[in-house]
Amino acid sequence: MNDKGNSASISGAGTIGGGTYTRITISGAGKITGDIIAEELRISGAGKVQGRAEATQIVASGSAVFTEDVVSDEMRVSGSARVEGRAKVKEMKCSGTFKVAGGLSSEYIKTTGDLHVGGDVEAEIFKATGGFKIDGLLSADKVEVHIGGRCQAKEIGGARIEVERGGWKEKGIILDGLIKLFSGGGIAELRTAQIEGDEIRLEDTIADVVRGKEVEIGQGCHITLVEYSESLRIHPNAKVDKQTKI
Amino acid sequence: MSEERLISKKDVLEKLRISYGQLYRWKRKGLIPEDWFIRQSTFTGQETFFPADKIIARIERIKEMKENLPLDELANLITSQVNEKLEVAFSRLRNLGWLDEQVVKICHINCGKEADKQTLPLADTLCVGVLSKLEKTARSEEIDLAKQTLDRAISKGLMERVRSERLFLYLLRKRLAAAGISAEISLVIISQEGAMFDPGIEVVQSVDLQGVLETIKLDFGHQDGSAGNARRSREEQEPSENG
Repeated sequence: MNDKGNSASISGAGTIGGGTYTRITISGAGKITGDIIAEELRISGAGKVQGRAEATQIVASGSAVFTEDVVSDEMRVSGSARVEGRAKVKEMKCSGTFKVAGGLSSEYIKTTGDLHVGGDVEAEIFKATGGFKIDGLLSADKVEVHIGGRCQAKEIGGARIEVERGGWKEKGIILDGLIKLFSGGGIAELRTAQIEGDEIRLEDTIADVVRGKEVEIGQGCHITLVEYSESLRIHPNAKVDKQTKI
Repeated sequence: MSEERLISKKDVLEKLRISYGQLYRWKRKGLIPEDWFIRQSTFTGQETFFPADKIIARIERIKEMKENLPLDELANLITSQVNEKLEVAFSRLRNLGWLDEQVVKICHINCGKEADKQTLPLADTLCVGVLSKLEKTARSEEIDLAKQTLDRAISKGLMERVRSERLFLYLLRKRLAAAGISAEISLVIISQEGAMFDPGIEVVQSVDLQGVLETIKLDFGHQDGSAGNARRSREEQEPSENG
C-alpha cells in the first residue's frame, strides 16, 4: 500500500479505512472498511466497500461489492458490480453485470450488459441493449430497449417508450435457434405488467396493459389490453386481445 | 374522518391535460409523493388512483409554477420533506413588510449590518409572519404570548401538522368582573379552523397558519435568482426542463 497525498492504492491484498480520498485504486484484492468520499474509485481486481461510497467517478472493471449506498457522477461497470443499497448516479454505463438491491436513479443509463435492480429505476434516458430485470417501476423520459436477452420490469412509464427486436433475431431462424439453445432456451422478449407512455412503440413485448397516446404494437407482441387516446397501429404479427380508445 | 375521494390516473391526465411523461417526470422529481399512488385492482387489471383533492391541487400548483421555476427548484419548494430546510432571506421578509422592530425584538433576530444577507429557517419565518399579522391589533405582551405559544407548538411538531391540517392561531381576550374589580386576560390558542369559544370571549384576531406558510413558500418561489439561492440545491439543473 502506498500513499500519495490522500490517495490509496491496493495492488496486493489489503484493507484501508474509510475517509476522504482523492483517488483509490484496487487492483488486487482490497477492502475498504467504512464510508468513503473520493474523486476517483477504481476497482479492477476484487474490491469491497463496506460502507457508503461517494465518488465523482467510479470504474468497476473487476468485481466490486458495495455494502451500502453508492453516489457518483459517473459510474462505469464493465466487470461485475453489486450494490447492496441504493445507487444514485448521474451517468451510468454498464457493459458487465450490475446488480442493485435498492433502487437505481441516474440521469442517463446505458446498459449493454446485464442489469438487475431490486427496486425502481429512474432516469431521464434509459438505453438497454442487453437484458435486464427490474423488480419495480422503470420510469424514464425516454426508454429505449433493443432486446438482447430476457428483459423484465414490473412496470414501465415515461414519455417515449421504444422497444425493438434485438440485433441477432433478424439474422434468421437458425442463429436465433442456436442462441436460444445455448442460452438455455433464453427468450429474447420484454415482459411487463404495464406500460404507460405518450408515444409507445413495441416489438417482442408481452404485457398485460399498454396505455398511451400514440401506440404502435409491432411484431412478436402479445398485449392483453391496449388503451390509447390518439392512434393505434397493430402489426399483423402481433396479438392484442382487447383494445379501447379513451 | 371520511374516506378520501379517489380519482383514477386516466381521469387525472384527461382532466388536467397532462401527459404520462409529465406525470412520471414529476413523480421522479418527488413533486408527487409516492404514497399518493394508490393501486387498486379493477376488472381491466391494476389501475392507479390518487386522492382527488390533493392531486388536483398539486398538479395545478405545479403547472402554474413551472413557468417561472426549474423543476428541481420547484421540487425543493413543493415537497414537504425539504421544506423544513427552506430558508428565507431577510431582504424578502423586509419587502413583505413583515420585519418591523417589535417583531424583530421578540423573535430575537439579529439585525446586524449583514442582516440582509442572512436567512431564516422556515419555522422562524412562520413565526415572523404570524406575529407581523397580529402586530396591528395585539398588545406587545400578547405578541410575546403568541411567540411563546408558537415556539412551544413548533417544538411539538407544529410544522408537520400545519401541512395537513388547517390550523389557526386565535388571539382571545376575556373580561372577568367580580365584586367591582374587573380584569382582562389574554389567551392564545392554536386550533383547527372553526374553534368555538364561550360568549364572554372576544376573538381579537385569528391567523390562518397554512395561509401564512403558503404565502412564504409562494413568495419565496416567485423570486428568481439572488435571494432565493441562499440555500441553493446541490443538484445542478437538468438539461431537459421541458416538463
